[in-house]
Amino acid sequence: MRLRPRLWPRSLSGQMALVIAVALFVAQAINFALILQERQRARIEGTTGPVVGRIADAIERNAFGDPTRFDRGRVRSVGASPVAATGEHRHDIEQSLSAALGEAGIKTGRVETEVHRFVPDDFRLRYTGKERRERFRRAGGELLIAVERPGKDWLVLSVPWFGGNDWIFWRLIWQTVILYIVVLVPVLVAARQISKPLRTLALAARGFRPGGSVDALTEAGPQDVRDVIAAFNALRLRVTAMLDEKDRMLGAIGHDLRTPLAALRVRIESVEDDTDRLRMAETIAEMNRMLDDILSLARLGRPSEPLTEVDLAALVEAVVDDFLDLGEDVAFEERARLRMRLRPSLMRRALRNLIENALKYGSEVEVQVAELPDQVRIIVCDRGPGIPEDRLNEVFEAFTRLENSRNKDTGGIGLGLALARAIVREAGGDILLANRDGGGLTATITLRR
Amino acid sequence: MLSPEPMGDTPHLLLVDDERSIREPLAQFLTKQGFRVTQAGDAEGARMRMAAYAIDLVILDIMMPGEDGLSLCRHIRATGDTPVILLTAKTEETDRIVGLEIGADDYVVKPFSPRELTARIKVILRRAAAGGVRQHAPAAGSFAFAGWVLKSGERALVDHDGVSVPLSTGEYNLLHALVTRPRQVLTRDQLLDLTQGREAAAFDRAIDNQVSRLRRKIEEDPKNPELIKTVWGGGYTLAAEVTRL
Repeated sequence: MRLRPRLWPRSLSGQMALVIAVALFVAQAINFALILQERQRARIEGTTGPVVGRIADAIERNAFGDPTRFDRGRVRSVGASPVAATGEHRHDIEQSLSAALGEAGIKTGRVETEVHRFVPDDFRLRYTGKERRERFRRAGGELLIAVERPGKDWLVLSVPWFGGNDWIFWRLIWQTVILYIVVLVPVLVAARQISKPLRTLALAARGFRPGGSVDALTEAGPQDVRDVIAAFNALRLRVTAMLDEKDRMLGAIGHDLRTPLAALRVRIESVEDDTDRLRMAETIAEMNRMLDDILSLARLGRPSEPLTEVDLAALVEAVVDDFLDLGEDVAFEERARLRMRLRPSLMRRALRNLIENALKYGSEVEVQVAELPDQVRIIVCDRGPGIPEDRLNEVFEAFTRLENSRNKDTGGIGLGLALARAIVREAGGDILLANRDGGGLTATITLRR
Repeated sequence: MLSPEPMGDTPHLLLVDDERSIREPLAQFLTKQGFRVTQAGDAEGARMRMAAYAIDLVILDIMMPGEDGLSLCRHIRATGDTPVILLTAKTEETDRIVGLEIGADDYVVKPFSPRELTARIKVILRRAAAGGVRQHAPAAGSFAFAGWVLKSGERALVDHDGVSVPLSTGEYNLLHALVTRPRQVLTRDQLLDLTQGREAAAFDRAIDNQVSRLRRKIEEDPKNPELIKTVWGGGYTLAAEVTRL
């Protein structure tokens, strides 16, 4: 699987929301960059236009003999530029201004600007007229403009300068938030419409047990999702039908094989030789057990036995006692009652198979029950050859028998463990095999509580 | 080898099975064992022969085309007292089928050992001859005693909380024998007779072992048993009221 950034959401609605949120943000940012640029242009034009007019006016008046007075608010004539080198300069305005002055036919040298920001009650505003003072105060600053008339003097004037662009960022954020609410909420709702039935479907697929309830899943959500659910319902019916067919077939085979086996069992009584007859009886019993295992395994998906409240400790003890009554040696320590909900006959079968396996291939068979907070373990261990590590899982496959490490004389087709594991898994648990230190095998049934 | 036979003559068995491959060699075997055997291939034939002969015991296959063994067994039970042994196919449902209220005296699971079948036949005939209370070995139903319920259908012991306490085969058979004969003293031999056969090795000590294991499961104080009491001279008795549910 590809590595994804950790922030990448896993759910459908999360991914949709994230993609749309990022796209919206990019669109908003481009939009505002354009707006900002437009505003900037408008400001430069709004500043340079009147300034050019006022300078032209001042030069004209000067030419007619009206002396340029040292008066704030008007264009003054000074000998040197009052603009400090360290101040905040507006080169964009300088450029646009010298271009505009050139266009107006005014010969200029350098154009310099400097922004002054006012503090409340600034001394620089004290000596100006009331109206003008108000304008400057609202703007929050002034732009000092100095235009050089080469060989003559500097013309100086100041215009109101509107401060930063902070408000525009707040507007960007507000707009984005509103957009998110307006767009993302419906998107999330729509995504849920799709993902909720999908989740239900996933849950149903995971919980699908042949033989369980076959209630069709309700088709919900958009048409595409409905189609998927309908397909799943059909699939489930087909699987159930196939399994039914398999059960019927195996049942028929089982019955048809048992009858001749039973006939054979009766007929061997005419064999005079006791040893021979006993061997034959054993073989028939073995075949019958195999048949039983095959049929049980085949039927397991749809157990007929109901779930029952059972004392698991007593169940284990009962199985062990059955072995003791048959003269087998199985160690088990009695323990307190352990209430579980399971199918007792099947669980007995699973445990019996594990113990049989241990007795067949090992010695010193011991059964333990361990109670953990969230699970219960039934441990069957023996002292024997164990199983090569790389084949531990193989023995659970039906019809597997490890000829090289275990006893070759024994019959059976290795269904015992497969059946045991199938039973335990059906009960929501699992069986693990592990080799023991010093030789031998440990089989652990783990059941959730 | 046969203990006192009923009315001194050869017991007459009726063997009902649709499978000739089983019926004929089995009839042959049972004849060799000293029984008189009449065969029937279906329920109708069985009814005719029941009417024609004085049958001492019926061996009945459950799975038969037409009227099946269970139905015939019910008919036999309704019309008379003839003991019945059922031949069943081993399925998951076996226990429940056997647990049904059909009134059979015993059952064997195919493929069965003819010798074991013979032993069962003898036990039932001996019991009938002794004039004892008719015993339906797989007697169906539930038995309540001292806060416990023994369900013969599911072969389970259930406590007052509804939790099932699994019993080993031997323990179940023993408890079933005790529960169906409350307050009777049962000797070890009787208990062996009542519980053996189903699993092979049952011996004298086994009864004592099973009794002590049963006590651990159902007695409040297993060292001081109140339910399964030991009787001097060798034997046990169930000291509790049993209600058949």
